[in-house]
Amino acid sequence: MKKNVFAQVIKLSHRSILGMLRQPQSWAPGLFFPLLLAAVYSSQFSKAVTIEGFPFQDVSFLDFVLPACVIQGVLFGSTNSASDLAVDIENSFMDRLLVSPVSRGSILLSRLASAFMYGVAQAAILISIFVLFGTNISGGLPSIISIVVVAALLSVAMGSFGIAIALRTGSQEVVQSTFPLIFVAVFVSSAFFPVQLMEGWYGAIARKNPLTWVIDPTRRMSIHGFSWNDLGQSVGIVLAIASVGIGISILQLRRRLVRAQ
Amino acid sequence: MTNPIEATNLSRSFGDLLAVDSIDLSISSGEVFGFLGPNGAGKSTAVRMLTTLLKPSSGSARVAGFDVVKKPSDVRKKIGVALQDAAIDPLMTGNELLRLQCVLHGLPKRSGKKRCGELLERVGLTAAGDRRVGTYSGGMRRRLDLALSLVHEPEVLFLDEPTTGLDPTSRMALWEEVRNLNQDLGTTVFLTTQYLEEADQLAERIAIIDDGKIVREGSPASLKSAVGAPTLRVDVSEDDLPSARTVMNHFGEERPARRNRIAIGLVSGTPGITDVMKALEGAGIEIQHVELDEPSLDDVFADATGRRLEGGQV
Repeated sequence: MKKNVFAQVIKLSHRSILGMLRQPQSWAPGLFFPLLLAAVYSSQFSKAVTIEGFPFQDVSFLDFVLPACVIQGVLFGSTNSASDLAVDIENSFMDRLLVSPVSRGSILLSRLASAFMYGVAQAAILISIFVLFGTNISGGLPSIISIVVVAALLSVAMGSFGIAIALRTGSQEVVQSTFPLIFVAVFVSSAFFPVQLMEGWYGAIARKNPLTWVIDPTRRMSIHGFSWNDLGQSVGIVLAIASVGIGISILQLRRRLVRAQ
Repeated sequence: MTNPIEATNLSRSFGDLLAVDSIDLSISSGEVFGFLGPNGAGKSTAVRMLTTLLKPSSGSARVAGFDVVKKPSDVRKKIGVALQDAAIDPLMTGNELLRLQCVLHGLPKRSGKKRCGELLERVGLTAAGDRRVGTYSGGMRRRLDLALSLVHEPEVLFLDEPTTGLDPTSRMALWEEVRNLNQDLGTTVFLTTQYLEEADQLAERIAIIDDGKIVREGSPASLKSAVGAPTLRVDVSEDDLPSARTVMNHFGEERPARRNRIAIGLVSGTPGITDVMKALEGAGIEIQHVELDEPSLDDVFADATGRRLEGGQV
């Protein structure tokens, strides 16, 4: 039976990934928007790195924004899996799954697995493009792998909240309406400017934003080199967020199954 | 051996609305059972309860020998379901969806692949198997839906309004497939429909549901005959009219008819037509035209509910 559950998760994830690949409109914005922002910011704010108190020395603004752009790209795409789940509920594909002997957990796991795979692909592509444009990643391959893993886990973490919303509402529109929140969360963080130079309420919020706690150690791994401490901090925070999101998703799945009955 | 579908006092309410009201079902193995009723009558709610998607508010049901509430997982292994409006992912190919369905039902990879090929052939989609479902016509989607519900060779097949929205040709092709399936594999079929003709063509037994209640149940022929005698109309020459009337009045009460035609309610039913013809010939009457109108299922529905079904008068 366990073997079958594994096969179900693989097959359902495969469907989810195929669905994404066959809809470029779902993944393309998450790829191009961060690149566009990186291009604009690095040309307009290239001198920001020379401001007194800037926490990194001898770096380009492109080096500085790489982790942020990767995380931003992954976050933009993190709602895809949840959005597809909402579509499945809306058009009754979910019913097709529920009248089959599929493990109910497989439905959730496959969505999280596809969010992880999406995060890996998105992060790898974005890092490759940054490197092609001259970004230096001091930590080499260990740092690159770490950034990809953190980004993919963040895709799962944020995706799980989207999945919970999809299960709660069964509405693609509601899931997609959370996108501006992600947008704001990225901007009110250390993504594009160091919190050390932020002042007032904006700085206070950015310092307390969990995304800052993920972006800062990831950025240190990119600029200063690989560090187990930084990896542990970023992965730990992402896993903490993911555990809350997945917990809520499980509750919502149970609620939906009970409500359906 | 227990019947593959048994329900006792099965009810489901949504707030104050009683969608299904104490229905009893007993469907034999290998039977094609038609559940006929207008939109909102409670057909789909009944199917959702029988397929474990919805818990009954009261009453009980057993499908393929298992209680739908206590043993839903066992029920799911034994049933195939093609739900009304259930989406078929347009981004996937027919083959990919069938493979997915095989995995969900735990079929080994090799036998699953073989099964997918057989099913695509069965529903006439071999050539379209590697095309995305988004490019399929409505009829092709329904045929694929049927194939998806058959991957694990279910004991009981639930078809919830399988031909709604299809053109007449696609509808008849699907009927033929359901008939073949029932004849070849002996699959018990529970079919809901709002189409009188569909129920008449496919089902050996029919239950008519209205406002959540079963108002009539039986074979199409018995339901129709219970409504009244079929109407026999015979056209004769003007000269033969009086003697034809005398002969035919022995077989039933005269009904209104146009000029040079005699119509009666044939008390002995359809088989009695031979006796009438013999009697007319014996009296030397030349028959110019004969018509026999059976009561339709619409007449049955009207008799039971006082209303007519949309598209009635079959």
